[in-house]
Amino acid sequence: MSSNQTSPTTPAVLRFFGVDNSADKRGALYIFVLLAALLVTPIVVGNDFVYHVFITICLFAGLSTAWNIVGGYAGQLSLGHAMYYGIGAYTGMILVNAGITPWIGMFVGAAVSAVVAALIAYPCFRLKGPFYALASIAFLEVFHVLAIEMKWLTGGATGKMIPLQVGWEWMIFQDRLPSLLIAFGMLCFVLAIAQVIRHRRMGFYLIATRERESAAKAAGIPTVKVRIYAAAMSGALVSMLGTFHAMYLTFIEPDSAFDLIFSIQIVLFALVGGIGTVFGPLLGAILLVPITEISRGLLGASALGLHGFVYGVILMLVVVFMPDGVVSLLPKRARKALDPEQFDDTTGQPIGDTELDAPQLDPIQTKARPPLGDEVLKVDDLVKNFGGLKVTQHVNISLRQGEVLGIIGPNGAGKTTLFNMLSGFLEADSGSVVVMGPDGKPHTPKGVADFVSLGVGRTFQIVQPFAAMTVEENIMVGAFYHHPDVDSARRVAGEIATELGLGRFLHEEAKNLPIGGLKRLEVARVMAMRPRILLLDEVMAGINPSDLVEAIRLIKAIRDTGVSIIAIEHVMRAIMDLSDRVIVINSGAVISEGDPESVVRDEAVIEAYLGKEAGNAEA
Amino acid sequence: MDLIFTNLVNGLMLGALYAIVSVGLTLVFGIVKVINFAHGEFLMVAMFLVFFATAYFGVHPYVTLVVVLPLIFGLGMLVQRVLIEPLQDSDEHIMIFATVGLSIAMINLMLMLFGPDIYSTPSSGLRTVVDMGPAMFLTGQLNILIAAIALVGGIHLFLTRTQLGRAIRATGQNRAAAQLMGINVSWVYMVTFGIGVSCVGLAAVLIAPLYPTSPEVGQYFVLLSFVVVVMGGLGSISGALLAAMIIGIVDAFAGFYLGANVKDLVVFGIFLLVLIFRPQGLFGGARNMSHVS
Repeated sequence: MSSNQTSPTTPAVLRFFGVDNSADKRGALYIFVLLAALLVTPIVVGNDFVYHVFITICLFAGLSTAWNIVGGYAGQLSLGHAMYYGIGAYTGMILVNAGITPWIGMFVGAAVSAVVAALIAYPCFRLKGPFYALASIAFLEVFHVLAIEMKWLTGGATGKMIPLQVGWEWMIFQDRLPSLLIAFGMLCFVLAIAQVIRHRRMGFYLIATRERESAAKAAGIPTVKVRIYAAAMSGALVSMLGTFHAMYLTFIEPDSAFDLIFSIQIVLFALVGGIGTVFGPLLGAILLVPITEISRGLLGASALGLHGFVYGVILMLVVVFMPDGVVSLLPKRARKALDPEQFDDTTGQPIGDTELDAPQLDPIQTKARPPLGDEVLKVDDLVKNFGGLKVTQHVNISLRQGEVLGIIGPNGAGKTTLFNMLSGFLEADSGSVVVMGPDGKPHTPKGVADFVSLGVGRTFQIVQPFAAMTVEENIMVGAFYHHPDVDSARRVAGEIATELGLGRFLHEEAKNLPIGGLKRLEVARVMAMRPRILLLDEVMAGINPSDLVEAIRLIKAIRDTGVSIIAIEHVMRAIMDLSDRVIVINSGAVISEGDPESVVRDEAVIEAYLGKEAGNAEA
Repeated sequence: MDLIFTNLVNGLMLGALYAIVSVGLTLVFGIVKVINFAHGEFLMVAMFLVFFATAYFGVHPYVTLVVVLPLIFGLGMLVQRVLIEPLQDSDEHIMIFATVGLSIAMINLMLMLFGPDIYSTPSSGLRTVVDMGPAMFLTGQLNILIAAIALVGGIHLFLTRTQLGRAIRATGQNRAAAQLMGINVSWVYMVTFGIGVSCVGLAAVLIAPLYPTSPEVGQYFVLLSFVVVVMGGLGSISGALLAAMIIGIVDAFAGFYLGANVKDLVVFGIFLLVLIFRPQGLFGGARNMSHVS
């Protein structure tokens, strides 16, 4: 049915790079032709200047592709990536002066850059958008000043020549060809790494974290760790290219090695090509580098400022008229081949172009219900205050295996706050949450990751889809928790989507789903993590009556597999039908508890919802 | 002791300058929700305007205000209308690139037109040293301090006491609700952006006689005003004033005792500490946390 299915004829090497099917293979062919042209053209033309242009293309394409791992996949707009370039350049230069070949210096620089990047990424992890950009600029400036000040190491503001020892060992050559080979090889290396990251679990994790941080955490993603990894990888790759470029230029100075404009150029190529796509930065560099290099070559010093002006104008034009980059202009077939994940399989159209009719979700199968088991969750005397506001007051909850516990209460009663404490998003002021682990022992988890590891899964009241991902990819993010391998995660995602009636939307982008579908997607994503305890936060709110019937059946089906469920719900029909027990919360305290029928007749409950007068009248 | 006092006074004067530049930046962020990376370039363009006006017409630099202010205001409105408004609802990164692109284009356009040379506006007596016992400063610096206080007070009065000011604040707090109240949001944004960059128009008139003009002059000031604006709490005008004074004093002392380069290290070090530990600014509560998740 779907060409996204892994075809058995694909060689393992290609599969490793995420090339699974015929469309991927076509994409790989385009890229191969493009890369071959990059290498062959200068060799055929044989002109020194053409060599120089193509070496520069390879360099910038590599830098930009490496930047894209942080700036695109992780969505952190670094404007300070020149600092890793500079670290690579300076490390290479310093080691060459100490008699060590740049082939080793390159890796030393990469290691230094990776450490620096990780040290920066950790505290900056929470900064978003412009704040991250500003921090990255500040770090760049710090390195710029350090390079000027540490004269004994760097040669100070005037810069330093690299000793002209010709030969492969020193990466300095009479001809241009060897430099081209090295630059080209490094570009291929960086592209390969970017492609592998994008199409394996790490890529999914980075994009999920970028799209919705809390949902990513709830899906068991170590959000801090993946961003540090991305930063370190990106920094190390940029650094290696920096070492090469220093040897190519044979001269470095702080002003050009730690240059803000250089950083912005790196970003520009990615933006023009298409941020977040694997090969966009390559396209951007191929399109733009020749313009500036040729204008510099032809006009020389009289063109001072010209290429900068052109870059600035292109930046503005691109963001206004083509914010998704050149990749978005390619014919659909080519685009599909380059990034098949973004396209609907049956039509080959980008999803955004197809109108979504009122969806008919597939019906859900139910099984026989097993008896209730032992206690799996125990909440003891939980208290939480926000300043003077008592949002949770001495709440006690007990949940047995396979049980469905309904939580109702007026708006602002503190239901979602309670969920946040039951899933590790908030820490209680006092009291305890004890979860029976799969090992049969009681645990007191702290933090989201702990709760996730004990099998507590949750949905969010306000749906949190990873909007730029397809339904399948959304569910895969959850499935990765138990299936680190892409193929099996994809298989599990497919199974769960079918089970939950999302099968036909598998390759639809999440942002195009109607609200009923999004609520189901929330459930599907958490189900892919195989939770033992499921916290459902208003999964029925706002869905139409026919979807409601389906949703109730769905939750029953989940319950019947032995999952314990706590559901916050306003839809009384669902609560009455689903719950074994109901807890009513008002002003942070449990005011009533029991089976659904007795709870709705409880005077205290009626009073809480309708006021004292109504309570009396009813009685 | 005298040295400390001199540095303190110098720091306050410097802080006043940073305040004038930063107030505009923070106003635009607070209302239009854009960090204008090209803010310094408006300063640079305005300084060139001052230079040419004084050079060709031989007038006192302060007189050029009548030309510079309307021109910069108009340029700001144009940029808001043509570049920022179409991107208003795009991703954050798009907005960053837009103003970064504008910044690069403006710097390099001026490089193409006027080269990397330094242009000195005549000092017109503004570099006269005022010797007040232990403290020594230039008359031009004193004027900057007075102007800074007047500007911050004026903007505060404008925002709180006038109809347009109230409309601007309302739009900043809730664009949709302001629109429903019949406020022409697009116009308010244009005016706000115009006012924001007019602040650097004023700054340009004040500093052109004291600092040399070059295409890259804006970059130095804008980096410092980012520091000030984040430290004061993005969008907070009084916070910016206070932070500008602190940074001015730090700048003066560090520059005197540690040298120009290490001074930058100190300032950016403070900036990073603030960004990481108090991204909402030093003075405000935790109210404006929309930028962290």
